[in-house]
Amino acid sequence: MNPQRKRIPKIEPFKHRVEVDPKFFDKSWKKLDDAIREIYNHNASGLSFEELYRTAYNMVLHKHGGRLYDKLAENLKGHLREMGKLVEAAQGGLFLEELQRRWADHIKALQMIRDILMYMDRTFIPSSKKTPVFEHGLELWRDIVVRSPKIHGRLVDTLLELIHRERMGEMINRGLMRNTTKMLMELGSSVYQDDFERPFLEVSASFYSGESQQCIERCDCGEYLKNAEKRLAEESERVSLYMDAKTADKIANVVDKEMLSNHMQRLFLMENSGLVNMLINDKHEDLTRMYDLFKRVPDGHSTIRSLMASHVKETGKILVTDPERLRDPVDFVQRLLNEKDKYDEIVSVSFSNDKTFQNALNASFEHFINLNNRSPEFISLYVDDKLRKGVKGAANEEDIETVLDKVMMLFRYLQEKDVFEKYYKQHLAKRLLSGKTSSDEAERNMLVKLKTECGYQFTSKLESMFTDLKTSQDTMQSFYANLAGDSDGPTISVQILTTGSWPTQPCATCNLPPEILGVSEQFRAHYLGTHNGRRLTWQTNMGNADIKAAFGDRKHELNVSTYQMCVLMLFNSTDTLTYKEIEQNTAIPPVDLKRCLQSLACVKGKNVLRKEPMSKDISDSDAFHFNDKFSSKLVKVKIGTVVAQKESEPEKQETRHRVEEDRKPQIEAAIVRIMKSRRVLDHNSIVTEVTKQLQARFLPNPVVIKKRIESLIEREFLERDKVDRKLYRYLA
Amino acid sequence: MVGKGGEAAASAQHKEEHEEDGDMVGVVKLISAEGFEFVIDKKAAMVSNTLRNMLTSPGGFAETREGEVRFPEISTAILEKICQYFYWSLHYASGKETAEFPIEPEITLELMMAANYLDT
Repeated sequence: MNPQRKRIPKIEPFKHRVEVDPKFFDKSWKKLDDAIREIYNHNASGLSFEELYRTAYNMVLHKHGGRLYDKLAENLKGHLREMGKLVEAAQGGLFLEELQRRWADHIKALQMIRDILMYMDRTFIPSSKKTPVFEHGLELWRDIVVRSPKIHGRLVDTLLELIHRERMGEMINRGLMRNTTKMLMELGSSVYQDDFERPFLEVSASFYSGESQQCIERCDCGEYLKNAEKRLAEESERVSLYMDAKTADKIANVVDKEMLSNHMQRLFLMENSGLVNMLINDKHEDLTRMYDLFKRVPDGHSTIRSLMASHVKETGKILVTDPERLRDPVDFVQRLLNEKDKYDEIVSVSFSNDKTFQNALNASFEHFINLNNRSPEFISLYVDDKLRKGVKGAANEEDIETVLDKVMMLFRYLQEKDVFEKYYKQHLAKRLLSGKTSSDEAERNMLVKLKTECGYQFTSKLESMFTDLKTSQDTMQSFYANLAGDSDGPTISVQILTTGSWPTQPCATCNLPPEILGVSEQFRAHYLGTHNGRRLTWQTNMGNADIKAAFGDRKHELNVSTYQMCVLMLFNSTDTLTYKEIEQNTAIPPVDLKRCLQSLACVKGKNVLRKEPMSKDISDSDAFHFNDKFSSKLVKVKIGTVVAQKESEPEKQETRHRVEEDRKPQIEAAIVRIMKSRRVLDHNSIVTEVTKQLQARFLPNPVVIKKRIESLIEREFLERDKVDRKLYRYLA
Repeated sequence: MVGKGGEAAASAQHKEEHEEDGDMVGVVKLISAEGFEFVIDKKAAMVSNTLRNMLTSPGGFAETREGEVRFPEISTAILEKICQYFYWSLHYASGKETAEFPIEPEITLELMMAANYLDT
């Protein structure tokens, strides 16, 4: 370009003059040097940008770029050293301010210098691969001022000291902090990280390690967590106010580690305030805090979860094995439900409905509920209680519904669902036969729930019980329609129960009073007349009766069981009878008779009979009198019938025995089903498969399964493989 | 000694365009080697990076304060052409102008040098 340039007449003279001048560089540089001094002295207003720019332009154009650059660097260094001295001289708290002021000056000056030397930046720098003016100025500032031995340490110390003071609750000049850290960031992220962030994190770690140590000594778990939460919030605020956003996670990690991870076990296990205490006392707020905080810690949640699970198991175990609690089944189940509600709430309120926590909870409940093998019975009793008393209590349909839902939850935990079915059937039968179901709808509702839970098979028999009652009603109607006319005697209501669907016990029929006998024989004739080939037996142990009795001049209507009715009818002809006579006349089994006499003679306010001698228990030698002094405010008197109660020990044994018997065919059926499809299978696989198939109803015992297999081999459903004795083959 | 020709017309056209920010508003005086003054919109002057720096650099250089820039090395004819180019460039950038910018062969070299100087 240069040779051509000379040919242009208009600028040639100027050019020429410059070329000739040997001191061109020194003169030009002097101009720039002066200008830069003026700039640093805030005195730039008198300078002409165009002139300076032109000077630098010409210098670069005449290949003086390298020298200009070096001169400039030297010049900047000089200025920076001066500034550094000023900063060093600043006292105490003014140090940062001075640094800030100088920094602002430097940046401004640097911008102006860069603009003047723009041509150099544009042409010389890229070709010579040097750092552009502005960046170079920053580097020089970093090396000469920030990292000068007298400033560097002091700067970091001052920053950390200020942060420490803020942590201790003092107010500090946050604007200054922000500007200082911003300066470090502008000098490059590595400067920020090396000169500030790393020491900051180290100091923070030791600060929090100390604080957490102190705090854990004097605070309880809840307070400690509150403090930790507060600290975390503070740190994140601090970062947002005057640090690089990238520091946020790092400092949070430091706090997490020092305050939470390192003390996790100790915090959770703190006596009187740890996790267990919070669970017991429903400290939802604290638990929420704990959950949120330990989300940040590896293993935090799993530790909370396992501690909670073991606590639930432990308390649950106490609950189900405490003999005191076992006396009242309704109370027992209610406690379970309360416990379940309590933890459900904790999980939903405090643990944000975390699925893993729910699962842990379910597993724990399942574990301890099955520790007590009477749980199925008790749960059924509880349902019995609710469905029976439904109307009496304030409970309305919806309440019952929710109660039933909760019970179903417990039911789901049961391993021995077939035991529950057995009991439920018994209790349902009693409810239905004594007409004590509070609401047909609630009953059916419960059935639907069981059906959805366990399938059609589970409830088919229960459903047929309802059908039986319905058809019985129709039968009774047609019976009385035929009988119309002579209805002078007692009326009876017969419920025809299908054998097998109902939990009937083989029962010694008692002698019915002649009045009843007549009408019941009529019914038998009627029924057998319409239904050919059936057999009717009377289940006198389940019925009840309303009888009218006169005590002196007072008339009462007594609601009694069939057995009691039989006994009372005997007193129509005489006023006194001995136990022996009653037993002979009625032929009621002794256990039942004693029980029924007890409720007739020994219950206060309902003692329609008088017993001699007066005592609580019935013995064979007692004599009974008709109590004509009996009185009651009510016209209708209900004599306490034998309500469904938890079973006595032998009864329990029997039920269990029956359940075991019932399981046998089920296990066999399962084995055959499996073998039919697999043809050949080894022992262990059969056991696993059977267990899997029957899980919904009960947990089969491997020993029992083995016995069933043996029995099936005996009956030639299966055979052992001739070579491998562990294998079974299915024989079609 | 007031600039003439293309400047007036171009400035009238320019008014139709919306003005972007505070720095761009107003006019600036460019003075040629011979002392001719060209008053153009700041926005147009900003087409040159050199002028842009000159007018926006912090610290208040004389040019920023007074709003006029002297070019002792640029002749009137070239400066006029440059001013025309500024406006042409603005229009071209906004898509309104599609015709080529006319440059007479005899001033080409001088114009190129000035362009280098002004970083345009």
